[in-house]
Amino acid sequence: MSFEELDHTADVLMRVRGATITEIFSDAGRAMFHIMYGPCEDRGIVRQISLEAEDLESLLIDYLSELLFITDVENIVFCTFEVDIQGTRLSAAIRGEPFDPARHSAGALIKGISYFGLEIVKEEEAYVVDIIFDI
Amino acid sequence: MLEGINMIGDLEWEVPIGYVPNMRVPGRFFLSRALAETLEEGAVRQLANVATLPGIVKHSLAMPDIHWGYGFPIGGVAAFDMTEGVISPGGVGFDINCGVRLITTPLTETDLAGKKRELIERLFAAVPTGVGAKSTLRVSNKELADIMVSGARWAVERGLGTGADLIRCEEEGAMPGADPGAVSAKARQRGLPQLGTLGAGNHFLEVQVVREIVDPEAAKVYGVTEGQVCFMVHCGSRGLGHQVATDHLRVLERALGKYGILLPDRQLACAPIDSPEGRAYYGAMVCAANYAWTNRQVIMHEARNVFAQMYGTDYDEMPLIYDVAHNVAKFERHDVDGASMEVCVHRKGATRAFGPNAPGIPREYAAVGQPVIIPGSMGTSSYLLHGTTTAMQKTWGSTCHGAGRVLSRSQAKKEVRGKELREQLAKKGILVRASHDSVLAEEAPEVYKPSHEVVRVVHEAGLSGIVARLDPLGVIKG
Repeated sequence: MSFEELDHTADVLMRVRGATITEIFSDAGRAMFHIMYGPCEDRGIVRQISLEAEDLESLLIDYLSELLFITDVENIVFCTFEVDIQGTRLSAAIRGEPFDPARHSAGALIKGISYFGLEIVKEEEAYVVDIIFDI
Repeated sequence: MLEGINMIGDLEWEVPIGYVPNMRVPGRFFLSRALAETLEEGAVRQLANVATLPGIVKHSLAMPDIHWGYGFPIGGVAAFDMTEGVISPGGVGFDINCGVRLITTPLTETDLAGKKRELIERLFAAVPTGVGAKSTLRVSNKELADIMVSGARWAVERGLGTGADLIRCEEEGAMPGADPGAVSAKARQRGLPQLGTLGAGNHFLEVQVVREIVDPEAAKVYGVTEGQVCFMVHCGSRGLGHQVATDHLRVLERALGKYGILLPDRQLACAPIDSPEGRAYYGAMVCAANYAWTNRQVIMHEARNVFAQMYGTDYDEMPLIYDVAHNVAKFERHDVDGASMEVCVHRKGATRAFGPNAPGIPREYAAVGQPVIIPGSMGTSSYLLHGTTTAMQKTWGSTCHGAGRVLSRSQAKKEVRGKELREQLAKKGILVRASHDSVLAEEAPEVYKPSHEVVRVVHEAGLSGIVARLDPLGVIKG
C-alpha cells in the first residue's frame, strides 16, 4: 500500500506516497475509498472524470471531491483509479461496484477534503502528500 | 500549559498577539488544568490563525472542547465586523448546522423495562443511518427549494411535527437570507434522497433518562423532571451541506487575490461579508442550515411515531425542549464596548448560549436563557444547560458543543473493539445499535475528553449553567 493513516484526533490524516504525480492521485482515491468502505472489487462499473484547476493541490481536492459526489449520489464504491495528468488537467477512468450494505458498511463517512496542510512535496525518490479527510 | 500562553483567570487563557505572525487580536480560550494536558499545539496555532483574519472583533475564542481541526479549531468562535470583516466556510465546517435537539416523553425507565431492545430496534428501522443510507421520503426539486427557504416549517406543514416545535428551535427552524440560487445542482442532487437520514460518524439518536436535576428552577421552566425518559437527535445537513461547503470553499479560495487577503491556511479561505462571493456563501450556507433543521424535524417525527406506537404516548406529550446548531455563521447584535454592534459570529463546534432576555430566544424561556444541549460521547452523560449573561459578555453568547476528541480514529481502532464495547455497554444497561460494529470503536467513550469535565468548565467559567444530567439508555448510530 502506498498510503498510511497517521494519527489525527478529529479527522482522518492520510499520507500518500507515489513515484509520480499520477500515482499520488490514484492512491489518494484508493485511500479515500478505503476509509469510507473498506475492501472493494471491480465489478465493471466505470465512470470518467475530466477536471482542470489552477494548481496540483486544488486539482487533487477537486478530484477527491468529485469522487465523493459520485459515490454519494450514485452509490458506487470505487476501487481502481486510472488517472492521466497533463499539467494541471486531469482525466480519469474509475472502476468499482454498487454499494452493498453487507460488505461496505464498516467505514466512515467523509464530509469533505481539507486544504489544511495539503501540499504535494517532492522527496528524493517520491512525491508525498498529507491529506486530512473530515469525518 | 503550552509555552507562550498566559493564564488570565482560573479557567481562562490568552494567546498573545505574535504567537503566529499577523495576528490582529489576541486569542482566548477556556480550559481547566486537567483538560490543558490534552491541548494540542496545532489547535492553539489554528486559534491564532483565526486572529489574522480581516475585521475580527475583540478575540479569537475557543471553548473547552477545543481541538485540532482544519481552518478554525473545533470549539472555535469568532465575530467579524460587518463592513471590514469576512465570512469563512472554515469557521463553519463541512457539516453546516450540525446540531442537537432534545425531546421529553412522559415515560419513566420502568415503562421501558423489558421492551428497551425492541424500542432501539424499531428506532433503528425507522431512521435510516450509516454510510449509503437513503430516505424513504421522496422530495421533488421544487420541495427541496422550499425546504432550503422554509426549513423545519416545511415539515410541520406536512404534518411532521407541531407549530410548538418551531418556536422551540434556534431561529425557529429557518434562518433568514437563504439563497437557493447559490446552491449548486450537485448539492441539490445529494440533498434530495437524504432528508430524514442520520448520517454516520458521531451522529446519533439516543434514548436517555434525566438522572439528575442540578437547577430545579430552570428545569421547571424547560419542563424537565428527574426520572423522565427523553430522546436526543444529533445530526446535520448531510451531503447537501457538505457539497455547499466544498463548492464555496473553492470559490472563496480563488477570490482571495481579488480581495488582497493573505492567509496562513488555505482552509481559512474567506471573502468580505458584503462581497458577491461572501453573500453567495452565506445564502447557500443558510439553505444548508435550513435543510439540517428540517432533517432533525423529520427524524424527531419518526422517533415520536415509534414511541406512540409502542407505548401509546400521545404525540403532543413529547415536546421538543430545544434545538441548537453548533456549526454555523450568523449575523447577530452584541454589545461591544457599550454600543450595540452587528457582527457575523462563526461557531465551529460551539453552541449558541444566549442568556436571559436575549433577543431570538423563545419567550417562555426568557427568564432563564436559552436551553443549551451538550451531547455526551457514546455511553456517557449528556447535559442540558442554560445560556448566561456572562456568555453574552465574554464569548458572543457561546459555549462548548460536546466532549472533544483525545484519541485518533486509528488509535481508537487499535485500543477498542466494537463488539466488546457493545457488550460492555449492554452490561451497563446501554443498548447500542449500529450498521456495523467497527463504527463503534471510533466513537468509544475513551476517544473523547470526559464530557463532565468540559461541562464543568463552562459552568464554572459562567458561560452556561448546568440544568440537568441525562444518562444514555440506548443509542442508534450510523
